[in-house]
Amino acid sequence: MEKIILSIDLNAQIQWVIAIILSILIIATITFWIWKKLSPSKLVDEMMLRTKSWWGMCFIFVFASTVNPIITYIGLAFLSFFTLREVYTLLKLRDSDRSTLLVCYLSIPIQYYFAYQGWYTMFLIFIPVFMFIIIPFLLVMSGDTDDIIRSMCILPTSLMLGVFGISHLALLISFPEMNTDNISGKALLLFLIFITEANDIMQFICGKIFGRKKILPSVSPNKTWEGFIGGVISTTIIGYFMGFLTPLNSWQCILISFSIAILGFMGDAIISAVKRDFGVKDMGNSIPGHGGFLDRIDSLSTTSSPFFHLIYFMVIA
Amino acid sequence: MKKLILIVIYTIFWRNFLKIIIGLKCYNHEILRKKKQFILIANHNSHMDTMAIMSCMPFRYIHRVHPVAAEDFFGGSRFKELLMRYLVNATLIPRKSANSDEDVNPIKVMSNLLEKGRSIIIYPEGSRGTPGVMSDFKKGIGYLVKQNPTVDVIPVYLDGLHKTLPKGKNLILPYNCRIIFGDSINFNSFDLEDIISKAEKAIHRVRSLV
Repeated sequence: MEKIILSIDLNAQIQWVIAIILSILIIATITFWIWKKLSPSKLVDEMMLRTKSWWGMCFIFVFASTVNPIITYIGLAFLSFFTLREVYTLLKLRDSDRSTLLVCYLSIPIQYYFAYQGWYTMFLIFIPVFMFIIIPFLLVMSGDTDDIIRSMCILPTSLMLGVFGISHLALLISFPEMNTDNISGKALLLFLIFITEANDIMQFICGKIFGRKKILPSVSPNKTWEGFIGGVISTTIIGYFMGFLTPLNSWQCILISFSIAILGFMGDAIISAVKRDFGVKDMGNSIPGHGGFLDRIDSLSTTSSPFFHLIYFMVIA
Repeated sequence: MKKLILIVIYTIFWRNFLKIIIGLKCYNHEILRKKKQFILIANHNSHMDTMAIMSCMPFRYIHRVHPVAAEDFFGGSRFKELLMRYLVNATLIPRKSANSDEDVNPIKVMSNLLEKGRSIIIYPEGSRGTPGVMSDFKKGIGYLVKQNPTVDVIPVYLDGLHKTLPKGKNLILPYNCRIIFGDSINFNSFDLEDIISKAEKAIHRVRSLV
């Protein structure tokens, strides 16, 4: 225990971000509490539930990302695991896919081990190259060819959604060239998650206030042009002011936050379409008010790997 | 000693394994705390059912809860019987009703347990059946309740556990599943048919609770 506490090493910037997150949560909690006293409605109740869950998620996240890095890797690996489990629960897979499913689950520790070691090439090719060959072959080995193409497509794609994207968060804190004197992987991780979640919230708020024209009427009726544009603009502004976490200059910072906002919207839309296909409103009920794990990290799964490579391109290369 | 083994196996190992790895969610299991003795009836699709129910038992009286298992399937060798007795706390009964005096009467075995103050877990369907489908209840539950009208009958619905370990497979896979406990059933009449239909309805009602 002492070892864990001693290993908490926060530089001034990370302390700032934690202070900002805490103050946002406190303001939101008080606002919704007053709002509920003035005019109770269903929307306020839902918002209060969501804020309550945000408290929990922030505590877990801040704890996991500031203590010993090993705990960060294990925490992220479990996040991937819970996400995959949620997807496989909703998917109607064949009985003969079961042994291949075990291989999909086993790829999580392997991928995170590569992240932990910082083996950049192995990390990058393990899922998109090896698993995309191994999984279809294992399905063939099971001998059942009925509807096999569906499983062949779904299982590797689920790994891309649930494991590949999220594991880039782990690579951020282990990649040697991103943890030097002037760059801190932990600060970049905080920046990425803060901007992505801020984007989700800003798009939601702008959509609720200004939303008129639907952007994807057949996929998600809640997404509007006004919400999208408002979200992108406010996220870019937030990203500009949070730039002290990164080694980027202000133009690069604006560009990166802008692309995170757009990519986050894409991830959100992809998962919305998947949910529509499954015929469910939420992926699960693990996080009260938000739905399942994939409902919360849908945008993270698409923003994290482009973010990593943009930083790599801008700072290191 | 036996109690300690059961606590280590169920309240420590299976409970955490089922919750964290398999993704089992328990609903309404607080009602077990107040009960002293009960007959627990559940739908049956997988060997994981017993593990799930036993892992929800409060550790105070876990050694007094006996899952009832079929002798022709789980018995057979001395080793298997010992395993069933010490690791699952199970009582083995023959699946056929007694025809002659020499045969063991399964209802009698269960009634004896209840008289000793023990609780039992039974699956009135009799076997695991088709995955995801609840088949008709056998008559055994009717006779048992008729002979022991004072014991509480708790209905339990198990949802999705047949996906973690289906019949005929031996690989346990993670899969979000649920176990829902219901309030004890009030039987108005102790007619055989009434008891069986009421028990069946109770499990269907528990299913719609969550």
